[in-house]
Amino acid sequence: MKKALAMVLAGGRGERLYPLTRDRAKPAVPFGAIYRIIDFTLSNCLNSDIRRIYVLTQYKSISLHRHIQLGWTILSAPLGEFVGLIPAQQRIDEHWYQGTADAIFQNIYTLQHEKPDLVLILSGDHIYKMDYRKMIAFHLEKRADLTVAAIRMNRGLSREFGVMEINEGWRIIGFQEKPEEPKTIPGDPEGILASMGIYIFNTEVLVRRLIEDARSDSNHDFGRNIIPAMIEKDQVFAFDFSQGDQGGRGYWRDVGTIDAYFEASMDLVSVTPHLNLYDPHWPILTYQLPYPPAKTVLEEEGRVGTALNSILSNGCIISGGSVKRSILSPRVMVHSYAEVEDSILLEGVDVGRHAKVRRAIIDKEVQVPQGMEIGYHLDEDAKRFTVTGSGIVVVPKWIKL
Amino acid sequence: MNDNKCMKKILVVEDEEGLRLLYKEELEAEGYEVIPARNGKEAIQKLEEGKPDLIILDIVMPVMDGMETLGRIVGKERKIPIILNTSYPGYRQDFMSWAADAYVTKSVDLGDLKKKIRELLNKGK
Repeated sequence: MKKALAMVLAGGRGERLYPLTRDRAKPAVPFGAIYRIIDFTLSNCLNSDIRRIYVLTQYKSISLHRHIQLGWTILSAPLGEFVGLIPAQQRIDEHWYQGTADAIFQNIYTLQHEKPDLVLILSGDHIYKMDYRKMIAFHLEKRADLTVAAIRMNRGLSREFGVMEINEGWRIIGFQEKPEEPKTIPGDPEGILASMGIYIFNTEVLVRRLIEDARSDSNHDFGRNIIPAMIEKDQVFAFDFSQGDQGGRGYWRDVGTIDAYFEASMDLVSVTPHLNLYDPHWPILTYQLPYPPAKTVLEEEGRVGTALNSILSNGCIISGGSVKRSILSPRVMVHSYAEVEDSILLEGVDVGRHAKVRRAIIDKEVQVPQGMEIGYHLDEDAKRFTVTGSGIVVVPKWIKL
Repeated sequence: MNDNKCMKKILVVEDEEGLRLLYKEELEAEGYEVIPARNGKEAIQKLEEGKPDLIILDIVMPVMDGMETLGRIVGKERKIPIILNTSYPGYRQDFMSWAADAYVTKSVDLGDLKKKIRELLNKGK
Protein backbone atom coordinates (compact mmCIF):
# COMPACT_ATOMS: atom_id res chain seq x y z
CA MET A 1 0.00 0.00 0.00
CA LYS A 2 1.12 3.53 -0.73
CA LYS A 3 2.41 5.49 2.23
CA ALA A 4 -0.19 8.06 3.21
CA LEU A 5 0.12 10.92 5.66
CA ALA A 6 -2.92 12.76 6.99
CA MET A 7 -2.77 16.47 7.72
CA VAL A 8 -5.81 17.62 9.67
CA LEU A 9 -6.51 21.34 9.52
CA ALA A 10 -7.70 22.21 13.01
CA GLY A 11 -7.17 25.93 13.19
CA GLY A 12 -10.75 26.99 12.49
CA ARG A 13 -12.03 29.77 14.70
CA GLY A 14 -15.66 28.75 14.29
CA GLU A 15 -16.83 32.30 14.93
CA ARG A 16 -20.46 31.50 14.20
CA LEU A 17 -20.38 28.93 17.00
CA TYR A 18 -19.61 31.61 19.57
CA PRO A 19 -19.74 31.36 22.61
CA LEU A 20 -18.98 27.63 22.32
CA THR A 21 -15.77 28.72 20.60
CA ARG A 22 -14.96 31.47 23.09
CA ASP A 23 -12.41 29.26 24.84
CA ARG A 24 -11.69 26.63 22.18
CA ALA A 25 -11.12 26.12 18.48
CA LYS A 26 -14.03 24.63 16.56
CA PRO A 27 -12.52 21.10 16.35
CA ALA A 28 -12.42 21.05 20.17
CA VAL A 29 -16.11 21.88 20.60
CA PRO A 30 -17.84 19.04 22.47
CA PHE A 31 -20.41 17.04 20.47
CA GLY A 32 -22.55 14.02 21.25
CA ALA A 33 -22.01 14.18 25.04
CA ILE A 34 -18.50 12.72 25.19
CA TYR A 35 -16.83 13.57 21.89
CA ARG A 36 -15.09 16.59 20.42
CA ILE A 37 -15.77 17.43 16.78
CA ILE A 38 -12.24 16.41 15.73
CA ASP A 39 -12.75 12.89 17.13
CA PHE A 40 -14.82 12.00 14.07
CA THR A 41 -12.08 12.84 11.59
CA LEU A 42 -9.38 11.18 13.70
CA SER A 43 -11.51 8.07 14.18
CA ASN A 44 -12.08 7.94 10.41
CA CYS A 45 -8.31 7.96 9.95
CA LEU A 46 -7.70 5.11 12.38
CA ASN A 47 -10.62 3.07 11.10
CA SER A 48 -9.23 3.60 7.57
CA ASP A 49 -5.81 2.33 8.67
CA ILE A 50 -4.24 5.76 8.35
CA ARG A 51 -1.97 5.93 11.33
CA ARG A 52 0.35 8.77 10.56
CA ILE A 53 -1.54 11.90 11.36
CA TYR A 54 -0.58 15.50 11.99
CA VAL A 55 -3.06 17.93 13.46
CA LEU A 56 -2.29 21.54 12.52
CA THR A 57 -3.53 23.94 15.15
CA GLN A 58 -3.55 27.69 15.41
CA TYR A 59 -6.13 29.74 17.37
CA LYS A 60 -7.21 28.90 20.91
CA SER A 61 -5.47 25.58 20.75
CA ILE A 62 -4.94 24.70 24.43
CA SER A 63 -8.18 22.78 24.82
CA LEU A 64 -7.56 20.91 21.55
CA HIS A 65 -3.97 20.09 22.47
CA ARG A 66 -5.03 18.76 25.83
CA HIS A 67 -7.74 16.59 24.33
CA ILE A 68 -5.39 15.11 21.75
CA GLN A 69 -2.54 14.58 24.16
CA LEU A 70 -4.80 12.88 26.69
CA GLY A 71 -7.05 10.98 24.32
CA TRP A 72 -5.11 10.28 21.18
CA THR A 73 -1.70 9.15 22.34
CA ILE A 74 -2.78 5.63 21.55
CA LEU A 75 -0.72 4.75 18.49
CA SER A 76 2.59 2.96 18.41
CA ALA A 77 5.53 5.28 17.87
CA PRO A 78 8.00 2.40 17.31
CA LEU A 79 5.80 1.25 14.41
CA GLY A 80 5.97 4.73 12.92
CA GLU A 81 2.42 5.60 13.91
CA PHE A 82 1.43 8.86 15.55
CA VAL A 83 -1.10 11.60 16.04
CA GLY A 84 1.23 14.58 16.14
CA LEU A 85 0.30 18.12 17.06
CA ILE A 86 1.82 20.98 15.10
CA PRO A 87 1.03 24.44 16.39
CA ALA A 88 1.60 27.29 13.91
CA GLN A 89 5.37 27.79 14.09
CA GLN A 90 6.09 30.81 11.90
CA ARG A 91 9.12 28.99 10.57
CA ILE A 92 8.73 30.20 7.01
CA ASP A 93 6.65 33.25 7.51
CA GLU A 94 6.16 35.70 10.33
CA HIS A 95 2.39 35.61 10.23
CA TRP A 96 -0.20 32.98 11.03
CA TYR A 97 -1.70 30.74 8.38
CA GLN A 98 -3.26 32.84 5.65
CA GLY A 99 -5.35 30.10 4.07
CA THR A 100 -5.72 26.35 3.96
CA ALA A 101 -2.94 25.96 1.38
CA ASP A 102 -0.63 28.24 3.35
CA ALA A 103 -1.15 26.03 6.42
CA ILE A 104 0.26 23.07 4.50
CA PHE A 105 2.98 25.08 2.76
CA GLN A 106 4.22 26.40 6.10
CA ASN A 107 4.73 22.77 7.10
CA ILE A 108 6.64 21.77 3.99
CA TYR A 109 9.55 20.66 6.19
CA THR A 110 7.25 18.13 7.82
CA LEU A 111 6.28 16.73 4.41
CA GLN A 112 9.98 16.58 3.59
CA HIS A 113 10.67 14.68 6.77
CA GLU A 114 7.84 12.17 6.30
CA LYS A 115 8.15 11.78 2.53
CA PRO A 116 4.75 10.13 2.06
CA ASP A 117 3.52 9.00 -1.38
CA LEU A 118 0.13 10.55 -0.73
CA VAL A 119 -1.04 13.38 1.47
CA LEU A 120 -4.59 13.27 2.76
CA ILE A 121 -5.73 16.75 3.73
CA LEU A 122 -8.68 16.82 6.09
CA SER A 123 -10.64 19.31 8.11
CA GLY A 124 -11.10 18.90 11.85
CA ASP A 125 -14.41 20.78 11.62
CA HIS A 126 -16.77 18.19 10.18
CA ILE A 127 -18.84 15.31 11.53
CA TYR A 128 -19.12 12.26 9.29
CA LYS A 129 -17.93 8.69 8.96
CA MET A 130 -15.89 7.89 5.89
CA ASP A 131 -13.58 5.13 4.76
CA TYR A 132 -10.67 7.06 3.27
CA ARG A 133 -9.24 3.81 1.86
CA LYS A 134 -11.99 3.81 -0.75
CA MET A 135 -11.07 7.31 -1.80
CA ILE A 136 -7.39 6.37 -1.97
CA ALA A 137 -8.21 3.33 -4.13
CA PHE A 138 -10.20 5.60 -6.47
CA HIS A 139 -7.34 8.11 -6.57
CA LEU A 140 -4.86 5.40 -7.55
CA GLU A 141 -7.20 3.78 -10.06
CA LYS A 142 -7.75 7.12 -11.80
CA ARG A 143 -4.02 7.89 -11.65
CA ALA A 144 -5.08 11.24 -10.27
CA ASP A 145 -2.80 14.02 -9.04
CA LEU A 146 -5.56 15.29 -6.80
CA THR A 147 -8.87 13.81 -5.71
CA VAL A 148 -11.53 15.91 -3.99
CA ALA A 149 -14.36 14.30 -2.01
CA ALA A 150 -17.77 15.46 -3.21
CA ILE A 151 -21.24 15.37 -1.74
CA ARG A 152 -24.57 16.29 -3.28
CA MET A 153 -26.10 19.40 -1.75
CA ASN A 154 -29.15 21.46 -2.64
CA ARG A 155 -28.26 24.24 -5.03
CA GLY A 156 -29.59 26.86 -2.60
CA LEU A 157 -26.54 26.19 -0.41
CA SER A 158 -24.02 26.91 -3.17
CA ARG A 159 -22.66 30.02 -1.47
CA GLU A 160 -21.30 27.92 1.37
CA PHE A 161 -19.32 25.45 -0.74
CA GLY A 162 -16.81 24.89 -3.46
CA VAL A 163 -18.92 23.58 -6.34
CA MET A 164 -17.52 21.10 -8.85
CA GLU A 165 -18.39 20.36 -12.42
CA ILE A 166 -17.35 16.92 -13.65
CA ASN A 167 -17.35 14.84 -16.83
CA GLU A 168 -18.67 11.26 -17.11
CA GLY A 169 -15.42 9.86 -15.74
CA TRP A 170 -15.66 12.09 -12.62
CA ARG A 171 -12.81 14.27 -13.79
CA ILE A 172 -13.29 17.79 -12.49
CA ILE A 173 -13.65 20.24 -15.37
CA GLY A 174 -14.85 23.27 -13.44
CA PHE A 175 -14.56 24.51 -9.85
CA GLN A 176 -16.39 27.54 -8.47
CA GLU A 177 -15.77 28.68 -4.90
CA LYS A 178 -19.00 29.69 -3.14
CA PRO A 179 -20.82 30.68 -6.35
CA GLU A 180 -24.20 32.43 -6.47
CA GLU A 181 -25.02 30.80 -9.80
CA PRO A 182 -23.67 27.26 -9.39
CA LYS A 183 -23.24 24.64 -12.07
CA THR A 184 -25.78 21.96 -11.16
CA ILE A 185 -25.41 18.20 -11.51
CA PRO A 186 -26.40 17.04 -15.04
CA GLY A 187 -29.90 15.58 -14.82
CA ASP A 188 -30.37 17.02 -11.31
CA PRO A 189 -31.09 20.76 -11.67
CA GLU A 190 -31.61 21.19 -7.92
CA GLY A 191 -28.36 19.48 -6.95
CA ILE A 192 -24.77 20.62 -6.80
CA LEU A 193 -21.60 18.64 -6.21
CA ALA A 194 -20.03 20.28 -3.17
CA SER A 195 -16.43 19.92 -2.02
CA MET A 196 -16.14 18.45 1.47
CA GLY A 197 -12.68 19.91 1.99
CA ILE A 198 -11.16 16.42 1.83
CA TYR A 199 -8.24 16.15 -0.57
CA ILE A 200 -5.80 13.43 -1.60
CA PHE A 201 -2.68 14.66 -3.33
CA ASN A 202 0.32 12.94 -4.78
CA THR A 203 3.00 14.48 -2.61
CA GLU A 204 5.21 15.78 -5.38
CA VAL A 205 2.36 17.53 -7.18
CA LEU A 206 1.14 18.98 -3.90
CA VAL A 207 4.53 20.44 -3.07
CA ARG A 208 5.01 21.93 -6.53
CA ARG A 209 1.56 23.51 -6.57
CA LEU A 210 1.95 24.85 -3.04
CA ILE A 211 5.22 26.49 -3.98
CA GLU A 212 3.75 28.04 -7.12
CA ASP A 213 0.87 29.33 -5.06
CA ALA A 214 3.12 30.64 -2.29
CA ARG A 215 5.08 32.61 -4.86
CA SER A 216 2.07 34.23 -6.46
CA ASP A 217 -0.58 36.73 -5.40
CA SER A 218 -3.18 34.46 -3.95
CA ASN A 219 -5.45 33.84 -0.97
CA HIS A 220 -3.43 30.65 -0.48
CA ASP A 221 -6.57 28.60 -0.29
CA PHE A 222 -7.18 25.13 -1.75
CA GLY A 223 -10.72 25.92 -2.88
CA ARG A 224 -10.11 29.39 -4.21
CA ASN A 225 -6.63 29.03 -5.70
CA ILE A 226 -4.97 25.62 -5.82
CA ILE A 227 -7.83 23.52 -7.24
CA PRO A 228 -8.95 26.01 -9.93
CA ALA A 229 -5.31 26.33 -11.05
CA MET A 230 -4.83 22.55 -11.08
CA ILE A 231 -7.87 21.53 -13.11
CA GLU A 232 -6.25 23.21 -16.13
CA LYS A 233 -3.03 21.23 -16.05
CA ASP A 234 -3.30 18.25 -13.70
CA GLN A 235 -5.42 15.14 -13.33
CA VAL A 236 -8.05 16.25 -10.82
CA PHE A 237 -10.96 13.98 -9.94
CA ALA A 238 -14.00 14.09 -7.70
CA PHE A 239 -14.76 11.16 -5.43
CA ASP A 240 -18.40 10.48 -4.69
CA PHE A 241 -18.80 10.49 -0.90
CA SER A 242 -21.56 7.89 -1.10
CA GLN A 243 -18.90 5.40 -2.27
CA GLY A 244 -16.96 5.86 0.95
CA ASP A 245 -19.72 6.81 3.38
CA GLN A 246 -19.38 4.45 6.31
CA GLY A 247 -22.82 5.24 7.68
CA GLY A 248 -24.51 4.75 4.32
CA ARG A 249 -26.89 7.65 4.91
CA GLY A 250 -24.93 10.50 3.38
CA TYR A 251 -24.35 12.01 6.81
CA TRP A 252 -21.89 14.91 6.74
CA ARG A 253 -22.32 17.99 8.88
CA ASP A 254 -20.38 21.21 9.13
CA VAL A 255 -22.18 22.35 12.32
CA GLY A 256 -20.98 25.85 11.49
CA THR A 257 -23.68 27.66 13.46
CA ILE A 258 -25.32 27.19 16.85
CA ASP A 259 -28.60 26.24 15.20
CA ALA A 260 -26.88 23.64 13.00
CA TYR A 261 -25.01 22.36 16.03
CA PHE A 262 -28.20 22.09 18.04
CA GLU A 263 -30.03 20.30 15.27
CA ALA A 264 -27.19 17.83 14.66
CA SER A 265 -27.01 17.14 18.39
CA MET A 266 -30.75 16.59 18.76
CA ASP A 267 -30.62 14.05 15.93
CA LEU A 268 -28.65 11.85 18.33
CA VAL A 269 -31.54 11.48 20.80
CA SER A 270 -33.96 10.31 18.12
CA VAL A 271 -34.77 6.58 18.01
CA THR A 272 -32.68 5.97 14.89
CA PRO A 273 -30.20 8.84 14.51
CA HIS A 274 -28.77 9.70 11.12
CA LEU A 275 -25.36 9.42 12.74
CA ASN A 276 -24.88 5.92 14.09
CA LEU A 277 -22.47 5.89 17.02
CA TYR A 278 -23.03 2.20 17.69
CA ASP A 279 -21.29 0.60 14.70
CA PRO A 280 -18.75 -1.87 16.13
CA HIS A 281 -16.81 -1.74 12.84
CA TRP A 282 -16.43 2.01 13.01
CA PRO A 283 -15.79 3.02 16.62
CA ILE A 284 -15.59 6.72 17.39
CA LEU A 285 -12.78 7.19 19.87
CA THR A 286 -12.41 10.01 22.35
CA TYR A 287 -10.90 10.87 25.70
CA GLN A 288 -12.94 10.41 28.83
CA LEU A 289 -12.15 9.97 32.48
CA PRO A 290 -13.44 6.86 34.24
CA TYR A 291 -16.33 8.40 36.14
CA PRO A 292 -18.87 6.06 37.69
CA PRO A 293 -21.89 5.08 35.57
CA ALA A 294 -24.85 7.42 35.15
CA LYS A 295 -27.50 7.08 37.81
CA THR A 296 -31.11 8.11 38.41
CA VAL A 297 -32.37 8.29 41.99
CA LEU A 298 -35.46 9.07 44.01
CA GLU A 299 -38.97 7.82 43.39
CA GLU A 300 -41.31 9.76 45.65
CA GLU A 301 -44.57 11.52 45.06
CA GLY A 302 -43.70 14.44 42.67
CA ARG A 303 -39.99 13.81 43.06
CA VAL A 304 -38.89 11.17 40.57
CA GLY A 305 -35.46 11.07 39.03
CA THR A 306 -36.15 10.35 35.32
CA ALA A 307 -34.43 10.62 31.98
CA LEU A 308 -36.43 9.97 28.78
CA ASN A 309 -35.23 10.01 25.18
CA SER A 310 -31.91 11.32 26.39
CA ILE A 311 -28.21 10.57 26.33
CA LEU A 312 -26.54 10.32 29.72
CA SER A 313 -22.78 10.11 30.21
CA ASN A 314 -20.74 8.66 33.01
CA GLY A 315 -20.76 10.56 36.26
CA CYS A 316 -24.26 11.98 35.72
CA ILE A 317 -26.78 11.88 38.57
CA ILE A 318 -30.43 12.66 37.99
CA SER A 319 -31.58 13.08 41.53
CA GLY A 320 -35.31 13.65 41.73
CA GLY A 321 -35.36 15.85 38.63
CA SER A 322 -36.62 15.18 35.14
CA VAL A 323 -34.67 15.11 31.89
CA LYS A 324 -36.32 14.83 28.48
CA ARG A 325 -34.84 14.82 24.95
CA SER A 326 -31.51 16.08 26.19
CA ILE A 327 -27.82 15.30 25.94
CA LEU A 328 -25.82 15.22 29.16
CA SER A 329 -22.02 15.19 29.12
CA PRO A 330 -20.13 13.58 32.02
CA ARG A 331 -20.68 14.74 35.63
CA VAL A 332 -23.95 16.58 35.09
CA MET A 333 -26.17 16.85 38.18
CA VAL A 334 -29.90 17.47 37.94
CA HIS A 335 -31.39 18.08 41.37
CA SER A 336 -34.88 17.50 42.72
CA TYR A 337 -37.88 19.07 40.99
CA ALA A 338 -35.64 20.48 38.26
CA GLU A 339 -36.75 20.09 34.63
CA VAL A 340 -34.42 19.82 31.66
CA GLU A 341 -35.94 19.57 28.18
CA ASP A 342 -34.50 19.66 24.63
CA SER A 343 -31.16 20.81 25.95
CA ILE A 344 -27.46 20.09 25.78
CA LEU A 345 -25.65 20.20 29.12
CA LEU A 346 -21.88 19.99 28.90
CA GLU A 347 -19.51 18.51 31.42
CA GLY A 348 -19.93 19.42 35.07
CA VAL A 349 -23.17 21.41 34.71
CA ASP A 350 -25.28 21.47 37.87
CA VAL A 351 -29.00 22.21 37.65
CA GLY A 352 -30.36 23.29 41.05
CA ARG A 353 -33.67 22.36 42.63
CA HIS A 354 -36.79 23.65 40.89
CA ALA A 355 -34.69 25.12 38.07
CA LYS A 356 -36.08 24.78 34.54
CA VAL A 357 -33.99 24.56 31.39
CA ARG A 358 -35.51 24.35 27.91
CA ARG A 359 -33.96 24.55 24.41
CA ALA A 360 -30.60 25.60 25.81
CA ILE A 361 -26.95 24.72 25.45
CA ILE A 362 -25.17 25.11 28.77
CA ASP A 363 -21.40 25.06 28.55
CA LYS A 364 -19.07 23.40 31.03
CA GLU A 365 -19.14 23.81 34.80
CA VAL A 366 -22.10 26.20 34.92
CA GLN A 367 -24.17 26.07 38.10
CA VAL A 368 -27.81 26.84 37.41
CA PRO A 369 -29.12 28.16 40.73
CA GLN A 370 -32.27 26.88 42.44
CA GLY A 371 -35.45 27.98 40.75
CA MET A 372 -33.79 29.70 37.77
CA GLU A 373 -35.51 29.43 34.40
CA ILE A 374 -33.51 29.34 31.18
CA GLY A 375 -35.20 29.19 27.79
CA TYR A 376 -38.62 30.26 29.04
CA HIS A 377 -38.31 34.04 28.74
CA LEU A 378 -36.11 34.66 25.71
CA ASP A 379 -36.16 38.46 26.10
CA GLU A 380 -34.73 38.11 29.58
CA ASP A 381 -32.26 35.43 28.47
CA ALA A 382 -31.03 37.63 25.63
CA LYS A 383 -29.87 40.22 28.16
CA ARG A 384 -27.28 37.78 29.54
CA PHE A 385 -26.81 35.01 27.02
CA THR A 386 -26.58 34.36 23.30
CA VAL A 387 -30.03 33.58 21.88
CA THR A 388 -30.10 32.33 18.29
CA GLY A 389 -32.66 33.15 15.60
CA SER A 390 -34.52 29.94 16.31
CA GLY A 391 -34.55 30.62 20.03
CA ILE A 392 -31.73 28.45 21.32
CA VAL A 393 -30.13 29.92 24.45
CA VAL A 394 -26.39 29.43 24.92
CA VAL A 395 -24.95 29.84 28.40
CA PRO A 396 -21.18 30.26 28.25
CA LYS A 397 -18.61 28.29 30.19
CA TRP A 398 -17.91 29.23 33.82
CA ILE A 399 -20.45 32.06 33.94
CA LYS A 400 -21.57 32.83 37.51
CA LEU A 401 -25.34 32.87 37.78
CA MET B 1 17.57 56.51 -19.32
CA ASN B 2 20.70 56.60 -17.26
CA ASP B 3 22.78 53.40 -17.28
CA ASN B 4 22.89 53.18 -13.53
CA LYS B 5 19.13 53.01 -13.26
CA CYS B 6 19.00 50.08 -15.66
CA MET B 7 21.70 48.24 -13.78
CA LYS B 8 20.21 45.07 -12.32
CA LYS B 9 21.02 44.36 -8.70
CA ILE B 10 22.04 40.84 -7.67
CA LEU B 11 22.20 39.73 -4.07
CA VAL B 12 25.00 37.15 -3.76
CA VAL B 13 24.72 35.04 -0.60
CA GLU B 14 27.95 33.10 -0.17
CA ASP B 15 30.03 32.35 2.93
CA GLU B 16 33.39 31.79 1.22
CA GLU B 17 35.11 35.12 0.80
CA GLY B 18 37.10 34.05 -2.28
CA LEU B 19 33.99 32.96 -4.12
CA ARG B 20 32.12 36.07 -3.08
CA LEU B 21 34.86 38.22 -4.59
CA LEU B 22 34.96 36.12 -7.74
CA TYR B 23 31.21 36.45 -8.23
CA LYS B 24 31.40 40.17 -7.58
CA GLU B 25 34.11 40.72 -10.18
CA GLU B 26 32.59 38.49 -12.81
CA LEU B 27 29.05 39.73 -12.40
CA GLU B 28 30.09 43.39 -12.31
CA ALA B 29 31.97 42.78 -15.53
CA GLU B 30 28.65 41.62 -16.98
CA GLY B 31 27.12 44.94 -15.99
CA TYR B 32 25.28 43.94 -12.80
CA GLU B 33 25.44 45.63 -9.44
CA VAL B 34 26.40 43.07 -6.78
CA ILE B 35 25.27 43.16 -3.15
CA PRO B 36 27.27 40.60 -1.14
CA ALA B 37 26.01 38.78 1.95
CA ARG B 38 27.94 36.26 4.04
CA ASN B 39 25.01 34.14 5.23
CA GLY B 40 21.23 33.91 5.23
CA LYS B 41 20.72 36.24 8.12
CA GLU B 42 22.75 38.96 6.48
CA ALA B 43 20.90 38.30 3.21
CA ILE B 44 17.54 38.92 4.84
CA GLN B 45 18.83 42.17 6.35
CA LYS B 46 20.12 43.30 2.95
CA LEU B 47 16.82 42.32 1.39
CA GLU B 48 15.06 44.71 3.72
CA GLU B 49 17.47 47.54 2.85
CA GLY B 50 16.85 47.39 -0.88
CA LYS B 51 15.20 44.98 -3.24
CA PRO B 52 17.53 43.12 -5.57
CA ASP B 53 16.35 41.90 -8.97
CA LEU B 54 17.73 38.42 -8.39
CA ILE B 55 19.25 36.35 -5.59
CA ILE B 56 22.07 33.81 -5.81
CA LEU B 57 21.94 31.60 -2.78
CA ASP B 58 24.54 29.18 -1.46
CA ILE B 59 23.12 26.35 0.68
CA VAL B 60 25.79 25.26 3.15
CA MET B 61 26.55 28.37 5.20
CA PRO B 62 27.02 29.21 8.87
CA VAL B 63 24.53 31.29 10.90
CA MET B 64 21.57 30.62 8.58
CA ASP B 65 21.81 28.10 5.76
CA GLY B 66 20.43 28.57 2.28
CA MET B 67 17.43 26.24 2.62
CA GLU B 68 16.17 28.04 5.71
CA THR B 69 16.85 31.38 4.02
CA LEU B 70 14.95 30.30 0.92
CA GLY B 71 11.87 29.60 3.02
CA ARG B 72 12.09 32.99 4.68
CA ILE B 73 12.59 34.81 1.41
CA VAL B 74 9.68 33.07 -0.30
CA GLY B 75 7.49 34.13 2.61
CA LYS B 76 8.56 37.76 2.26
CA GLU B 77 9.46 38.49 -1.35
CA ARG B 78 7.55 36.18 -3.61
CA LYS B 79 8.54 37.58 -6.95
CA ILE B 80 12.34 37.93 -6.83
CA PRO B 81 13.94 35.09 -8.80
CA ILE B 82 16.25 32.88 -6.76
CA ILE B 83 19.09 30.66 -7.98
CA LEU B 84 20.32 28.00 -5.60
CA ASN B 85 24.05 27.66 -6.11
CA THR B 86 25.73 24.79 -4.36
CA SER B 87 28.42 22.15 -4.74
CA TYR B 88 25.97 19.48 -3.59
CA PRO B 89 23.46 18.21 -6.13
CA GLY B 90 21.71 16.18 -3.39
CA TYR B 91 19.74 19.19 -2.16
CA ARG B 92 17.55 18.86 -5.23
CA GLN B 93 15.67 16.20 -3.23
CA ASP B 94 14.66 18.78 -0.64
CA PHE B 95 11.12 19.99 -1.23
CA MET B 96 12.07 23.51 -0.27
CA SER B 97 14.70 23.62 -3.02
CA TRP B 98 11.83 23.42 -5.51
CA ALA B 99 10.86 26.90 -4.43
CA ALA B 100 13.98 28.22 -6.19
CA ASP B 101 13.71 29.25 -9.83
CA ALA B 102 16.92 27.44 -10.74
CA TYR B 103 19.44 25.08 -9.24
CA VAL B 104 23.00 25.54 -10.48
CA THR B 105 25.86 23.34 -9.28
CA LYS B 106 28.95 25.36 -8.38
CA SER B 107 31.78 25.44 -10.88
CA VAL B 108 34.84 27.62 -11.49
CA ASP B 109 33.33 28.39 -14.85
CA LEU B 110 30.43 30.76 -14.20
CA GLY B 111 28.99 30.25 -17.69
CA ASP B 112 25.95 28.25 -16.57
CA LEU B 113 25.24 30.64 -13.74
CA LYS B 114 25.44 33.70 -15.98
CA LYS B 115 23.16 32.06 -18.52
CA LYS B 116 20.56 31.35 -15.84
CA ILE B 117 20.82 34.91 -14.54
CA ARG B 118 20.15 36.32 -18.02
CA GLU B 119 17.25 33.91 -18.55
CA LEU B 120 15.55 34.75 -15.28
CA LEU B 121 16.05 38.50 -15.57
CA ASN B 122 14.65 38.46 -19.10
CA LYS B 123 11.68 36.39 -17.99
CA GLY B 124 10.74 39.08 -15.51
CA LYS B 125 10.69 41.79 -18.17
